[in-house]
Amino acid sequence: MAFTGLIGLAFILAFFGLILIFTITHRENSETHLRPISAFQKLSRAIGLAVEAGSRLHISIGRGKLSGPESAAAFVGLSVLESIARSASSGDNPPIATSGDASLAILSRDTLRATYRDIGISEQYQPTSGELAGMTPFSYAVGTLATVENEKTNAHILLGHFGSEVALISDAAERNNDLTLAGTDNLPAQAILFATAQEPLIGEELYASGAYTQAGPMHIASLRAQDVIRWLLVVIIIAGAALKFLGLDQLVTNLLGGLAP
Amino acid sequence: MKFNFKFKSPVSTAIAISVGFVVLLGYIFGTNARGETTSLGFLRNYFLQGAIIWASVALIVGVFNLVGVHLHKIRKNEGGGYSFVLLVSLIVTLGVGIYDILQTHLHQELNFQRIRWIFNYIQLPIETSLMAVLAISLTYAAARLLSRRLNLFSIVFVGVVLLLLIGAAPQIAAQAPLLAEFRDWILRVPALAGARGILLGVALGTIATGIRILTGSDRPYGG
Repeated sequence: MAFTGLIGLAFILAFFGLILIFTITHRENSETHLRPISAFQKLSRAIGLAVEAGSRLHISIGRGKLSGPESAAAFVGLSVLESIARSASSGDNPPIATSGDASLAILSRDTLRATYRDIGISEQYQPTSGELAGMTPFSYAVGTLATVENEKTNAHILLGHFGSEVALISDAAERNNDLTLAGTDNLPAQAILFATAQEPLIGEELYASGAYTQAGPMHIASLRAQDVIRWLLVVIIIAGAALKFLGLDQLVTNLLGGLAP
Repeated sequence: MKFNFKFKSPVSTAIAISVGFVVLLGYIFGTNARGETTSLGFLRNYFLQGAIIWASVALIVGVFNLVGVHLHKIRKNEGGGYSFVLLVSLIVTLGVGIYDILQTHLHQELNFQRIRWIFNYIQLPIETSLMAVLAISLTYAAARLLSRRLNLFSIVFVGVVLLLLIGAAPQIAAQAPLLAEFRDWILRVPALAGARGILLGVALGTIATGIRILTGSDRPYGG
């Protein structure tokens, strides 16, 4: 058993403890103050418009593999898909999900089916609403373009793992004057989305999507836990820089090294 | 205090949570002090190998999904022409792939020339062309950014992009060494610091998502 593994376990347990504490306190005081992010405000309006005008929302959850670290971004996309499917369920055109990975396509269909079953409108579920757009990055982008170009679709929510090919999707949406809300875990794709998407989500804003789309109290609690851990990391980084500046970094390294077996 | 977790499919939820915990603990307690794999480590490897096999099965299901979606589009006449081309291409590629596999088995030597031809002379040029389109899209998007969203961040973004592109040209770098040094400094200090900051946020978000799935709060498997 590695020493770093134990530190990792302690970190995860601390994170879980914080989420639990914030979930309990949120249940006792359900008033939530979240920093306003214009992307989510526009998303609420787009959902309302989709219900009223009978237009369709398109959610693309990327092409992240489920067995890799990029799956977390795809899971965020699936949480948002569930929230949107609930909110837009009374509209004429149910939301459509596209993905670039077969497992994600199955999960998106499963999410839509479970959501419709849960709110008692199973008949609205269409197997074609969870679509595998393509299996390589560019075939996924080109396959998604057909959905983007569809005149019934007026908003595109791109949440998941994307590469540079996402520019083709967001550019097409922009040309149609549709709302594009996009967030990813991939740094180059974030830079591309900053330039091409109407409402880009920067950094960890992607992981806050669930909290802003009412995906559940655990999402708000995990957002607060992330804030606490982030401040802790800020303190550790500043302390590390100060120790280095004072020339004490080697002493601390030796002390920590002595703790490891 | 009342926790309102509704497990609609308790079996799939229980399986997902327990397998998730075994894999997580397997990473930490997967080897003993002598570096040998423990029972937990074996179990973790078993589940991970199983996940790889399931991903392959999902690929086959995905192909059926692709066919179903495009047949639906042809029937409803929603870009049916493209869908028809896609289905014909799929059938031809599948047929050629199966033929190559049979040839390989019959002659007992690798014989994937036909499928390689399709990749080299059809798929590769198409994807390369799309890459070229992407370059144009990005240039256009960068130019349009300032007219669409004129704020400090956009100005800094476009300014840095231009500076890095100009600084990367060898002739300009040779004639203006200060510009090249400034470009290197941007890449080494502010860009790297920003990237690390974003990656820390992404890492925290990934852990939070993992915990929500491990505790059954998020159930992307319809449970």
